[in-house]
Amino acid sequence: MPAQEEVNSVSGEEQAADKRGHKRDPRSYDRHGHPRKELTIALAGNPNSGKTTVFNNLTGARQHVGNWPGVTVEKKEGSLRYANYDIKVVDLPGVYSLTAYSLDEVIARDFVVDENPDVVVNIVDASNLERNLYLAVQLLEMGAPLIIALNMMDVAESRRYRIDVDALAREIGAPVVSMVATRNQGTQELLQTVMEVVKGNIKVTGLRLQYGREVEEELAKLEEVISSNSLSKKYPARWLAVKLLEEDEEIIRKFMELQVG
Amino acid sequence: MMPLSMVSSGEVVEVVAIRAGWGLQRRLAEMGLNPGVQIRVMNSQRPGPVVIDVRGSRLALGQGVAHKIMVINEGGGHTCQHKKR
Amino acid sequence: MDRDQILRVKDESLAHLRKVYGDEAETVIADARYGFISGLIKDVLKKPAIDRLTISDRIDKVVLNRWLGIPIFLAILYGMFQFTFVASGPLMDWIDKFFGWLAGFVEGISPAWLGSLVADGIIGGVGSVLVFVPVIFLLYIALSIIEDSGYLARAAFVMDRLMHKIGLHGRSFVPLMLGFGCNVPAIMATRTIENPKDRLVTILVNPLMSCGARLPIYALFAAAFFTAYQGLVVFSMYAIGITLAIIMAWIFRSRLVKGESGHFVMELPPYRLPTIVGVLTHMWERGRVFLVRAGTIIFGVVIFIWLLDYVGVLEPIGRAIAPIFSPAGFGQWQVAVTLVFGILAKEVVVGTFGTLFAVEGGALGDIITTQLGWTPLVAYAFMAMCLIYVPCMATIAVVKRETNSWKWTGFLIGYTLVLGWLVATLIYQIGSLFA
Repeated sequence: MPAQEEVNSVSGEEQAADKRGHKRDPRSYDRHGHPRKELTIALAGNPNSGKTTVFNNLTGARQHVGNWPGVTVEKKEGSLRYANYDIKVVDLPGVYSLTAYSLDEVIARDFVVDENPDVVVNIVDASNLERNLYLAVQLLEMGAPLIIALNMMDVAESRRYRIDVDALAREIGAPVVSMVATRNQGTQELLQTVMEVVKGNIKVTGLRLQYGREVEEELAKLEEVISSNSLSKKYPARWLAVKLLEEDEEIIRKFMELQVG
Repeated sequence: MMPLSMVSSGEVVEVVAIRAGWGLQRRLAEMGLNPGVQIRVMNSQRPGPVVIDVRGSRLALGQGVAHKIMVINEGGGHTCQHKKR
Repeated sequence: MDRDQILRVKDESLAHLRKVYGDEAETVIADARYGFISGLIKDVLKKPAIDRLTISDRIDKVVLNRWLGIPIFLAILYGMFQFTFVASGPLMDWIDKFFGWLAGFVEGISPAWLGSLVADGIIGGVGSVLVFVPVIFLLYIALSIIEDSGYLARAAFVMDRLMHKIGLHGRSFVPLMLGFGCNVPAIMATRTIENPKDRLVTILVNPLMSCGARLPIYALFAAAFFTAYQGLVVFSMYAIGITLAIIMAWIFRSRLVKGESGHFVMELPPYRLPTIVGVLTHMWERGRVFLVRAGTIIFGVVIFIWLLDYVGVLEPIGRAIAPIFSPAGFGQWQVAVTLVFGILAKEVVVGTFGTLFAVEGGALGDIITTQLGWTPLVAYAFMAMCLIYVPCMATIAVVKRETNSWKWTGFLIGYTLVLGWLVATLIYQIGSLFA
């Protein structure tokens, strides 16, 4: 279920409904009187991957810029209506990776884990596939409900790259949608795929990379002690184990903050 | 093996080691630059910053950074200029 | 299991892996990820046997050439300003005439004080700033094109060697270039600079990159006192700003904020043809702030100043402060008042003159010559003062927020004040020797 944010992203009419409590915004209901459903999409991707263009294509003028709570990093949110859903789109900061070493990365990572968006769309620059997939792999290891938006297909084509989209989807374990965001191509397909994922018709299987025998042995040991810890209810135990081996500051801090026992 | 800063424009080399602290290594790895990857020098302002092709993207590196990236030519030979130290 | 146990197992694992691999576990894990991706890429991506040089690469062969790089950059910079001025000329005249007509139309309103407030205060004040809307918006269009096309990253690369000489690196250049539009987002853009010392110095010299709000000041006085050479004079202001930024950055970096320099690592995105929609959107995002400020701060300040003047309190205040500026040639009370209020927002400088002398546009230049007795030299010294002295309130607020330090914010205010006074005075004194 979409989480409530404290950010001042609520539009005028919705605010009126909240304040008075009983007033219903007539547009939150379809013409049969059924309540529109809500869902949240998070956009993740490298800087320069065309993420902003996709965001603009999805939300048009219905955007709002604020701040992520407690920090001065910009938070962009927008909305649209599609297939009887009120969709909120959150544009996460552009990052190359999801370590704990920069505020942008922590914000992106925390949003996926804490706010549980219904779908995470990873905008991937098709002409730069190898580097862009570094982020996708980390998102999938986190267990994010991922759709890969393969953007800038025109650039890839102009360089005579040939990408086997089906093979990519199969091997990486997530649906892939081709796009040329600057021409607003692929936006409809993306939204359709979002629907399929939300309804459960498409499964995101996630990734379980093999890190080599020695590392896997240590991971198994760690997983065992972690799995009975309260943190493993919130985050996948294996992911926590990997983060510990990476000496991830944020995760270590979360462990330190736990009560003993 | 030689530092990237000595490689001429147009050369294709392989990264063998990055002699830098954690911050820089991590940063470079994020951008796709880690030991084992093949890169091509696109533009060089030697002595000065250099632009390389790494995994399909163009990365600009300052001279100091290029000094710390150790590379070898394909086949292990050297075609770039050696400077006697 | 309790957290201490978990952390202990982690440390043991890390030690073991260090022994086995001779490397940190983090590195091994990253390698494994890339290994997986490499394998995946082999199955999924087919590249042509020889990766042709893309169009971007071909352009870069020229643009990033060690000899052509900087000249090309300077040419583009100059072109940017030329385009801005030449294209905006006719539009400015039109707006100027409109406000002149409007003021005349309104003057007759009674009561007299209201007529004066609206004609002199508001139209004179705000109108004189709005005249420059075409210039500012065109400048923002040019900046948006440079940014959206991807050239800005190349400019940073080309300037890296020079930046290195003053102790910074290419990454610092992007925020400095953005400062030509407005210092506020430019200083926020310094977040991409990882090294805190580099970042601090970039923030400290950023206000010397002449922002859009100061452009009306130069345009006004250049047109009034240097009609034949106005383009050159305005360009010289920017050049002085850049030169001072370089000098001060070098001084700060070598004396004040010493320490290791950061690493220059920056992605060069492929060139893109900027879309009209994109450029106009960016232009509007930046320009909107200018218009909003005109409608609010400038409007408010201008009325406030008119009020102080009407009540007769303004002149004494000005006279008290004015003597400080006599060595620089502009020790008149109106100027003192203008400079003080100019701290709120640079556009207010022009607006204040407009209100005080109850005219705007072309007529303003003549009035200043006759009423204040200014020579072109004084005008030039004054422009330099406006270029350098204390940045506007919005910039000060951003600096405090980004540096989290009253000490450095105070230092910024102090040094720009002193430097501005020094440079203006030097210009006037040395120039007077030749006059």
